[in-house]
Amino acid sequence: MFEQVSAARPVNYRPLPAAGPIVTLLLAILVIAASHVAAEPVRVGHVEADLVSEVRSIQPGQPFWVGLEINLDEHWHVYWRNPGDAGLPPKLTWDLPEGFVVEPIQWPYPKKFVVPPLTSFGYSDKVLFPVRITPPVDLAEGEPVTLRTHAEWLVCAEACIPGETDLSLTLPVSQSAPEFDSQRADQFNGVREKLPVEATEWKFGAAVDDTLIQISIRPPEWFTDSLRGVYFFPHDKAIIHNAAEQSLEVTGSGYGLAVPRFKNATGDPERMTGVLYAESGWRGPGSEKAITIDIPVGEGGPIAAAVTDEAAGGIWKAILFAFLGGIILNLMPCVLPVLSLKILGFVNKAGESRKSAVSHGLVFTLGVLLSFWALAGALLILRAGGEQLGWGFQLQSPVFLVILSSFIFLFGLSLLGVFEIGTSLTAVGGKTQSSTGWGGSFLNGVTATVVATPCTAPFMGSALGFSLAQPAWVAMTIFTALGLGMAAPYVVLSASPKLLKFLPKPGRWMETFKQIMGFLLLATVVWLAWVLGIQAGVNALAVLLMALLLIGIGGWIFGRWGTIAMPMPKRGVAYVLSALLLIGGVAFGLAGVSLYGAAPTQASSSSSREGITWEPYTPERYEEALASGEPVFIDFTAAWCLSCQVNERVAFSSAQVRDTFAKKGIVALKADWTSRDDTITRALARYGRNSVPLYVLYDGSNGHEPVVLPEIITPGIVMEALANLEG
Amino acid sequence: MKKTLLSLFSIVALIGLVGCSGEADSGATSENSSKADETSATAVSAKVDETAPDFTLTDATGTAHSLSDFKGKYVVLEWINFDCPFVKKHYVEGNMQRLQNKYIDEGAVWLSICSSAPGKQGYFEGEELTSRMEAEEWMGTAYLNDPTGKVGKLYGATNTPHMFVIGPNGELLYAGAIDDTPSTKASDIPTSTNYVVATIDAAMKGDPIETKATAAYGCSVKY
Repeated sequence: MFEQVSAARPVNYRPLPAAGPIVTLLLAILVIAASHVAAEPVRVGHVEADLVSEVRSIQPGQPFWVGLEINLDEHWHVYWRNPGDAGLPPKLTWDLPEGFVVEPIQWPYPKKFVVPPLTSFGYSDKVLFPVRITPPVDLAEGEPVTLRTHAEWLVCAEACIPGETDLSLTLPVSQSAPEFDSQRADQFNGVREKLPVEATEWKFGAAVDDTLIQISIRPPEWFTDSLRGVYFFPHDKAIIHNAAEQSLEVTGSGYGLAVPRFKNATGDPERMTGVLYAESGWRGPGSEKAITIDIPVGEGGPIAAAVTDEAAGGIWKAILFAFLGGIILNLMPCVLPVLSLKILGFVNKAGESRKSAVSHGLVFTLGVLLSFWALAGALLILRAGGEQLGWGFQLQSPVFLVILSSFIFLFGLSLLGVFEIGTSLTAVGGKTQSSTGWGGSFLNGVTATVVATPCTAPFMGSALGFSLAQPAWVAMTIFTALGLGMAAPYVVLSASPKLLKFLPKPGRWMETFKQIMGFLLLATVVWLAWVLGIQAGVNALAVLLMALLLIGIGGWIFGRWGTIAMPMPKRGVAYVLSALLLIGGVAFGLAGVSLYGAAPTQASSSSSREGITWEPYTPERYEEALASGEPVFIDFTAAWCLSCQVNERVAFSSAQVRDTFAKKGIVALKADWTSRDDTITRALARYGRNSVPLYVLYDGSNGHEPVVLPEIITPGIVMEALANLEG
Repeated sequence: MKKTLLSLFSIVALIGLVGCSGEADSGATSENSSKADETSATAVSAKVDETAPDFTLTDATGTAHSLSDFKGKYVVLEWINFDCPFVKKHYVEGNMQRLQNKYIDEGAVWLSICSSAPGKQGYFEGEELTSRMEAEEWMGTAYLNDPTGKVGKLYGATNTPHMFVIGPNGELLYAGAIDDTPSTKASDIPTSTNYVVATIDAAMKGDPIETKATAAYGCSVKY
């Protein structure tokens, strides 16, 4: 019953004897041979304590991790930084060689120990408290370094026993990068998973009244799981009533956590600082369970209310923006060549009856809508299956590019008069002209959509991001609005005879116009071929061109001998030959692409004519740059995204922008989404997006929200954003 | 291969114009599962600036003492457990005894309350208790046993030591830690600010009390 407070037991150091330089040298060699010498674990009462290192040697100037390892007897525990209702956190007092800098203990998230009516926070069984140490840059090689610390802790079961001991660790110094002790590295990585992380995508608010702290939690748009088992561990004592239940409820905009306050609190805290634990993980099952929060305490409940309003308006706003975005989509660079098809279609129909014109407009709309539904449906189904995909995903696939460019190439050849589909088929079938055009109008709608989607129009980025995080019916509604928006100008045009009057009468000029459009389509093929080249390399590009050649020959045979002017046997042979060449060409293209379609090699960094030095985006580089406090600009782009290409030519080639990037020391990261890349898809999700372009600027100060630039940028817009940066 | 399948899928979806059945899962549902411990919230009724709740407990000799007996005097309540290292910190070199002497001399009452349940650490009765009090050179007004923990929970005592100062009008002036240095080392005492001293000294002089509540530190009360 009576617990003896155990006395401190000093550790035996392994001092280098002063017997003479030779002995010292020999010992030093021994020490190096043994890689590193840790003090044996020290047993004090119910605790076994040890100072351990993740590395086997120290590199001058290179930070490394050591840790206080504590093994506890059953039923005994040590404490977290805020011990809760009882206890004391462990403490380390360092005695390090000159120039070494040691950081405070990193605290893994704790467990709750409940002995009603008291609750404390700590660890049982086994725990490692990691500490980062930075050695001086001018540390001399050869002489091993001994790190000494005095560890104090309180260990409790029912009774509490303070303990303390001296611990030391000797490591050799080497200029080479430190070698990791694999077993220790596993142990350190294990504990890193339990260290709370920053979660910038989540939004928090806090309010207090006499008895409760209300923490409002708003998940990012990509978070579709549900949050469970949430508990707030404040960094300080006297903030919460440790033993009381904290209740989580679902609100309009996310969650609300009600935390009973420390009962004798005098005055209100200004900030809520601590660790927010979620059993369910903050990025879905199996992900990080603990995040740090440091939020100002607001007045009463307006935070929660404000957040709710915003979400409620979200759907209607998204639908409106989707519709507007659809209209503007018609003006995007990647749609312009296809736009020509539509203009041509209208010129063709101009002479016909109004009823027929309206029908064509509606069929075109149907083509657009069905394509949007098909694309969005495929995307939703694939995402539900766990694929990391975003809008425009079809252009990330070389196979799709081959098929699409073959299709557009054929279309272009047809417009250039190499062969004619419409007339020959009409003549054969003997159908009336107006009914044959319907298939064409429908196909126009499909083509326009397929080519247009990758160009995220202004407004559309956030609408798409929003929609894909919503239930399926909401997503489909938004895509319907997008399709209707895109088709709207044509429906209006075809339904209004007054407007149709402004279109020129059909005539000889149409042939010329058609041919010009044919060349525009060939330009589209050039663009698609370039995208494929970036994705799959120059061999795949050559294969595609070869395939197009075969298809071209097929089209030529069809046009030359497949017309009704030719006698039947010849015509039959021409049909068979051209079909063979067409199918063979596409098959050859597909086979070649899957053969040569190696993973694209990415340049380590690229600079646009001595301008901005772009580094490829990696999550590590991103974290590092943010942590360093430098301003960071991220360019989310893709070769197939023409808006992105235009933006880059216009905005980033400006001398003024380039100079400012250099002068302000902005870290420029390029996230190239040309090929499928799950890390970039996830990075986009961080900003509630799943489409490119996206431009994000961090001003470098900690905890600041990034600035998201518009989808269409000019040097002026970029300069304005940069002007707000310090320095 | 994955890519090929993927794009084939999208092409089929496009060209065949397959109607779609979006089956992404809908809205986030969440259940509240932050099942916490038994909140034995015996509605803590001791609050600073309010009247300290009355109680009656018996001392080592079986004599009953009530808080209301001491109306008009300053009363210090000290939650105690002689075997707790944080309590030892203040007894081993006579710090707590010094305070007991000082304030009793100045007319105050010092009640040490032990809320350890019988059989748990710190619980003593009868002969064992009196000899232990002697050995520790305890100098307070009365050492009271609270074996059911009723008074401890009434005051929200979480730790040993956990200190409460009650003014002559019965108002709770201070609740919390004994000083500002959570440790088990008596050597920390000279450099610490003692909140009990600060409270009584200020109150006796008629000065405002600067710190009225803190989080206590120490061992848990062994209810």
